[in-house]
Amino acid sequence: MAIKELLNRFNAVVTDPYSEARSRKEQGQKVIGWLPTDVPEELIHAAGAFPVGSLGSCSKIRLADTHLQVWVCSLMRGSLEMGLRGDLDFLDGLIIPQTCDTTRAMVGIWRQTSLIPYIDSFMMPKQVKRSSAREYLIGELTRLKSNLEKVTGNLITNESLGTSIKLFNENRQLLRRMFEIHADHPGLISSREVYTVIKAAMYMDKVKHNGILQDLIQAMKQKAARSIDKSNPKVRLVISGGVWEPPEIMDLIEEAGGVVVGDDMLTGMRYLSPDADEKRDPLEALADRQLNKIPFAGFDNQNYERRRFLHNLVRHTEAAGLIFLHLKFCEPENYDYNDMREALNSAGIPNLRLETEVGNPSLGQIRTRLEAFIEMIGGDPIE
Amino acid sequence: MSEPFKTAALMKELMAKYYDLGEESRRKGIPVVWVTAVFPVEIIYAMDLYPYYPENFGALASARKVADKLSMAAEAKGYFNDLCGYARCGIGDAYSLEHPVGKILSPDLLLCCNTQCGSLPKWFEAAGRFYNKPYFLWDSPMIEDETSDIKQNYLIKQLYELIDFLEITTKRRFDINKLQEVVALSSQATALWNDCLEMAALKPAPFGFFDACIHMAPIVVWRGRQEAVDYYRQLKAELEARLEKKIYAIPNERHKVYFDHIPVWPRLRWFADMFAANDTLVAASQYTHAWAMNFDPARPLETLAEHYPHQFVNRGVDYRLKLKMDFMRHYNCDGFILFSNRSCKPNSIGLYDKKRMLTEMTGLPGLVFEGDMSDLRFFSEGQIKTLFETYFEQLV
Repeated sequence: MAIKELLNRFNAVVTDPYSEARSRKEQGQKVIGWLPTDVPEELIHAAGAFPVGSLGSCSKIRLADTHLQVWVCSLMRGSLEMGLRGDLDFLDGLIIPQTCDTTRAMVGIWRQTSLIPYIDSFMMPKQVKRSSAREYLIGELTRLKSNLEKVTGNLITNESLGTSIKLFNENRQLLRRMFEIHADHPGLISSREVYTVIKAAMYMDKVKHNGILQDLIQAMKQKAARSIDKSNPKVRLVISGGVWEPPEIMDLIEEAGGVVVGDDMLTGMRYLSPDADEKRDPLEALADRQLNKIPFAGFDNQNYERRRFLHNLVRHTEAAGLIFLHLKFCEPENYDYNDMREALNSAGIPNLRLETEVGNPSLGQIRTRLEAFIEMIGGDPIE
Repeated sequence: MSEPFKTAALMKELMAKYYDLGEESRRKGIPVVWVTAVFPVEIIYAMDLYPYYPENFGALASARKVADKLSMAAEAKGYFNDLCGYARCGIGDAYSLEHPVGKILSPDLLLCCNTQCGSLPKWFEAAGRFYNKPYFLWDSPMIEDETSDIKQNYLIKQLYELIDFLEITTKRRFDINKLQEVVALSSQATALWNDCLEMAALKPAPFGFFDACIHMAPIVVWRGRQEAVDYYRQLKAELEARLEKKIYAIPNERHKVYFDHIPVWPRLRWFADMFAANDTLVAASQYTHAWAMNFDPARPLETLAEHYPHQFVNRGVDYRLKLKMDFMRHYNCDGFILFSNRSCKPNSIGLYDKKRMLTEMTGLPGLVFEGDMSDLRFFSEGQIKTLFETYFEQLV
C-alpha cells in the first residue's frame, strides 16, 4: 500500500479517537482510559481490558470552568471537559497519573463529577535515584494490578502480563524504527504525520497498529531507497515539552522550513521508550521501565539532568535548534525552563519557547515567531 | 486581631536569635540545611545542623509587601508569575541585587518533603542547581484515606536514606537517642501550640486565626528546641490571664468562621480588621493546625513518618472534606471561607466543588475568594470587599 493510504488510516483514528474503544465496549470488553503520562498500559491490557489514552484535545471549554480555576492547564481542563460532556462515559475506568499538583488534585474532581465507575491514581515515585523508589514502585504497580483485576474480573498472571509486555515492546520498537527512518530521511513523511502515527498508538489496538506500522516502515524504506537526492533543505529541530498541541503547530514548523527530528514529549519519545525487559519478573520489568524513562519535569532525575539530556539529544539528532512547547500554566516545565535554556545557550544551541494551549488554534503569533526563529538558525548544523 | 501580646517581645527576641544562629552557623562551618515547613526537622536538630526555612523567607517578603518586586527578578529569568509566590520570592532574591527583606541564606544542603506540594521540590531542585549543593527529596505519595504498608515502608526506608545522606555529606553521626530527645521537645511544643489554638473555641475567644498567623513562626522554626516550648508555655499563660481579664480577640464576637488555609500575607491586617468590624472571629484553619502534631517520642522515626507525610494537603477529597467539617463542628463555626490561592494549586484546585459539598453537608454558608497569598498583583481589593460584604449578611 502506498505511504499516503497507510497514513490515512492512522489519521482517521486520530480524527475519531474513540471509535475502536467504543466498538470494544459494545463487544463486551472493558475499556480503561488513562491521562498522560506513564500509566502502565500493559497492566490494563493484561487484565483483558482495552487501554485508551485521553489527551484532552477539546476546544470550546465551558463546563470545566465551573470546576477549575482559570490557571489550571488546558490539558487537564480539556480532559475534564470531555468527561463532563459525557464523551468518555463509555469508559469502565480511568487512571490518572500524579505527575504534578494539578494531576494530583484531578482525581478527586473526576470522582465527584464523573459516571466512570473506577477512577484511580498512578502514584509514581518522584525520585528515581535511590533503591527505595524501585521497591515502592513495585508495590504501587501491585496495587494497580489488583484494582484492575477487581474491575475486570480477570486475573493478571505473569504469563498474560508477559504477553502484553511483548506486544507493547514490539509497538515501541516499531515506532522507534519509523522515527529513525524519518530522522534519517526527513522528507519521506511530514513531522505531523510521524507524530500522528505515535498518537494513534494511544487509541488503537496494538496488534492492528503494529500491522499497519510494519507496512508503513516497509513503504518508507522503499521510498528512501528510491530517492536519489539525500540532501534535505529542511532545518532539523528538537521539540521539548508535554504535548504537541494544537496539532497544527507541526504544520507551522514545516511551513516555516523546519522538521522535527527529536523530542522528549509525553506524546512523543516518552511514549516509545524504553522497553520493559521480557526476561524478568514482569512487574519488576515495568518498574524498571518506568524508572529508566527519559528525564522529564514530573520527577527529579539526578542521574541524568534534563539540561544534559536535551543537550545530548540535540547533538545526537544533529539538530540546528530546539523549540520548547510549553503548555500555559504548566508549573513543572516552568520551574525547569531557566536551567534548560541556560544550558542550551551556553552550548550555543539556539532555542525558542512557545506557550501553547490544548484546543486553542489561534496560532498567528506562534507562526510569526517560528518563521523568525527558523530563518535565523538556517540550515547549518551545530558544530 | 487581638491587642499586642506581651509575648510578642519574646517572639521578636527568638526570631532575631534564630536568624543570628544562621549567620553564626555559616561562620562556624555548621551546615545550613534548607528544609520545607512540613519536614522532620527533628533529624536536623538532632544532628546539630542549622535548619533554614525558605518558605519563612517567602512569607516574610509577602507580609512586607515586596513579593511582587522579588518575583519580577525571577520572572526576568523566565519563571512565570503563576508559580508559587514563596518560590518566586526565593528564586527572585537569589538573582536580585537588592534584598528588601535581607538576603535569603544560601544552603549547604537542601532537604524537601513533597507532602505539601509539587512546587517545593521544583523550587528546591532549581535552588540546588543555582547554589550547586546536594538535594534530597523525602518523597511522600498521596495518602488518600488510610495509609498502606507499602507507603509507610517507603517513607521509613527513605528516612534511613536521608540519615545516610546526611552522615555522608556532613560527616556527622546520627544518634537515635538524641533524636528521641528532640522529638520529645517537639511534641511538647506542638501540644502547647494546640492548646493555644484550642482557645479559639471559647466564646468569646481570646485568640483567633489571625493571631495564630502572627504567633506561628516559632512552631515552624524552633520546633524541636526548648525555645519553642518556652514560647508557647508563655503564650498559653498569657492567654489564660487574658481570659480572666476578659480581653478577647475581637471586641464583639458574634460569629465564628473557618478559614481554609494560608492568609493573604500582605493583607493580613486588612482581613483581620474586616472580620472584626463584622463581629466575626476567624476561629480556625487547617493551615495553623498543620503544626499541632502529636508525636510519640518512643518511636522517633516511625512517628515522624506517621505525621509529616499525612498532612491534609496530601490527602484525598473525602478526608479533606471531613477535616474541614470537623474543624467547623469543633470550633462551632457559623460559616466557612475557602481561599482559592493561585500560589497554592494543591490547596485550591477543587475548592469550587468542595464549597458546594460542604454547604450541602453542613448547611452553613461558604465563600470562595480568588487571590494570592504573596503577590498583590493578584488581589482585587474592591471585588473581595464586595464579595465579603454580601457574605457577612448571610451569617445569622
